[in-house]
Amino acid sequence: MSSTSPTDPRARAIWRWGGAIAALLVVQSIILAGLFWLLAAHSHEREAEHGFARDCETFAALASPLRPATLRAMLTRDIHRDRFLAIFAADGSPIEGNVARLPHPATTGTKSFVAPIRATELPGKTHDVARLALCTLPDGEKLLTGVDLDDSEEALRVVRQSLLFALGPGILIALAFGLFAGRRAARQVDAIRRLTARIMSGSLEDRLPVSDRPDSFEQLCAHINAMLDRLQALVLDMRAVGDDIAHQLRTPLTRLRARLERSLRDTHDRAGFETAAIDALGEIDKLLGVVAAMLRIRELEDHARRSRFAPVDLAKIAADACELHRPIAEDRGIDLVCTIAPLPPFDGDDSLLIEALSNLIDNAMKFGPANGRVAVDLRRDGHHAVLSVTDDGAGVPVSDRLLVTQRFYRGSHEVDGVGLGLSLVKAIAELHGCTLAFASDRSCVSLVFASDRDNDKRPRH
Amino acid sequence: MTHILLVEDDHGTATEITLELTASGYDVTRCTTVAEGGRRALADGVDLLIVDRQLPDGEGLDLIGLLRDKGRRTPVLVLSALGSLDDRVRGLRAGGDDYLAKPFALVELIARVQALLRRPDDSRDTRLIAGPLDLDLLGVTGTRAGRPLDLLPRELKLLEYMVRRTGRIVTRSMLLQDVWGYNFEPNSNVVDVHMGRLRRKVDADGEAQLIRNVRGQGYVFDITD
Repeated sequence: MSSTSPTDPRARAIWRWGGAIAALLVVQSIILAGLFWLLAAHSHEREAEHGFARDCETFAALASPLRPATLRAMLTRDIHRDRFLAIFAADGSPIEGNVARLPHPATTGTKSFVAPIRATELPGKTHDVARLALCTLPDGEKLLTGVDLDDSEEALRVVRQSLLFALGPGILIALAFGLFAGRRAARQVDAIRRLTARIMSGSLEDRLPVSDRPDSFEQLCAHINAMLDRLQALVLDMRAVGDDIAHQLRTPLTRLRARLERSLRDTHDRAGFETAAIDALGEIDKLLGVVAAMLRIRELEDHARRSRFAPVDLAKIAADACELHRPIAEDRGIDLVCTIAPLPPFDGDDSLLIEALSNLIDNAMKFGPANGRVAVDLRRDGHHAVLSVTDDGAGVPVSDRLLVTQRFYRGSHEVDGVGLGLSLVKAIAELHGCTLAFASDRSCVSLVFASDRDNDKRPRH
Repeated sequence: MTHILLVEDDHGTATEITLELTASGYDVTRCTTVAEGGRRALADGVDLLIVDRQLPDGEGLDLIGLLRDKGRRTPVLVLSALGSLDDRVRGLRAGGDDYLAKPFALVELIARVQALLRRPDDSRDTRLIAGPLDLDLLGVTGTRAGRPLDLLPRELKLLEYMVRRTGRIVTRSMLLQDVWGYNFEPNSNVVDVHMGRLRRKVDADGEAQLIRNVRGQGYVFDITD
């Protein structure tokens, strides 16, 4: 604590915790002491009343002439001089005893009351306060019996003092415990604070300690650790993407620069410049296409687009994709064969689905043999809808299956492209909760759509 | 003169757009904030708004909301660096008439501005005549100066789309979006191949070119030549 000043938030937390616990303990002690004090006072009063009742019975049983002597004997036995006893005639005049006259106010009966009295035999004082009872004896005489309150007050004061005395150390113990507990809690919170501070400064490597049998706080720590693992993976992925983009853009940018430089040096007429400018525009469009595709993949991986999902007709999408690609297939001498079975509507985004299918058809035409066959097949297979694109080529080698869906991976560098197609298809497939499957024996890529029933249960990330 | 209000805070982009629009014969006023844009858009004489989404004092879409609340039907083209389709949908839902994601080709911008300023006559005529062309939209047939054009249904739709926008550049993405109904950038020249076939059918050897390819930009249908 020496390192923390009261303005330090950590110290404030400790004091807040410590203070709260101490206050709780002090309030508890005061309630306890108060109860004890009340019970003690009550028991004292009851004890006195028992004595008074006994006195009344004793004197009622005695004949009137015997009473003064008995009373005197009782007073003599009272060596502490805390008893008051007196007999009064029916008219209130004193007969015998150590009280000069009847007190005011006075009630008759065994119920006790507290009143000032005029004492006659106390050394050094004539006035005192006593707990008294006044009973009327059978022949009309009255017996006043009582105890000095000094003594009982003294006893209660001792009780009070001992309680107060115990309260002091109690508060100290409470405060100490509170500070200890507060410091412990503050230390745990502080560990998280320090970690988040390091994260904010850019370091994602650190983790919070979690024991084998975690308490709820450590479970929170474990969750934070898991969150950090995910974050770190995402950041690494993002860095890799950044590197990829930089790398992918550098080559075409260099080419573009060289081309512009050359045209500036070698071109002297308008037509030449125009050609150079159009070429440059083409290159730039290609570059923008790469950037746009990257952004789209990222956007798709966010899974936020499901909000736009609507029932779509896969058969129409497949037919449209075939129709869209038929002329280009014919130009390349490729036989595009489409077999499309009608299917119930599926929740999805038609533009994205046709983009994925268009990519697959495009790949099949690019990587399959010239003058070959490309088959687009939409069919129902049990609970699933399967959309597959098959060509006559060798297909993706097994060793490359995982790689082809990664960004910028290109199976063949002889074919024009930047290697984003399949990773885009994969992102679109995942968004729709379908899997991208490669056939093992031929060149066939399939999108397997979950059944309509599963469609509703698709995990929403 | 057609008056276009451009609300764009990026100086470079605004300058490029202004130069291009001016060169195309439009009168352009520029402002940089939602507040100023709102004031000027509500003044008379604005035929079209081009609004950027991220402006220094707010969201460009709010400007459209303001305009629509006052009952103004001025067409609005929304520009945005937020290029995702979701944003496109949000932009159109907010009352924008078209949406263009940055970076865009200037020709695409001009094409869309033209399209917005002169909405095609969406007449329900089943017969469309333009110069030597005579299209029977119901019968899915067409002739050029009496010569039958052997058109596929999609080709007829493409031709109809072009004819209804005579004299204006139509870009590939406009064709894909409006004729096929899909919103994506194909990574091969599928649209060009379709257009190539259509052109060969419509413009036979020796005939005047009705459909012109504007290199790097799109296509124009014109009967003035």
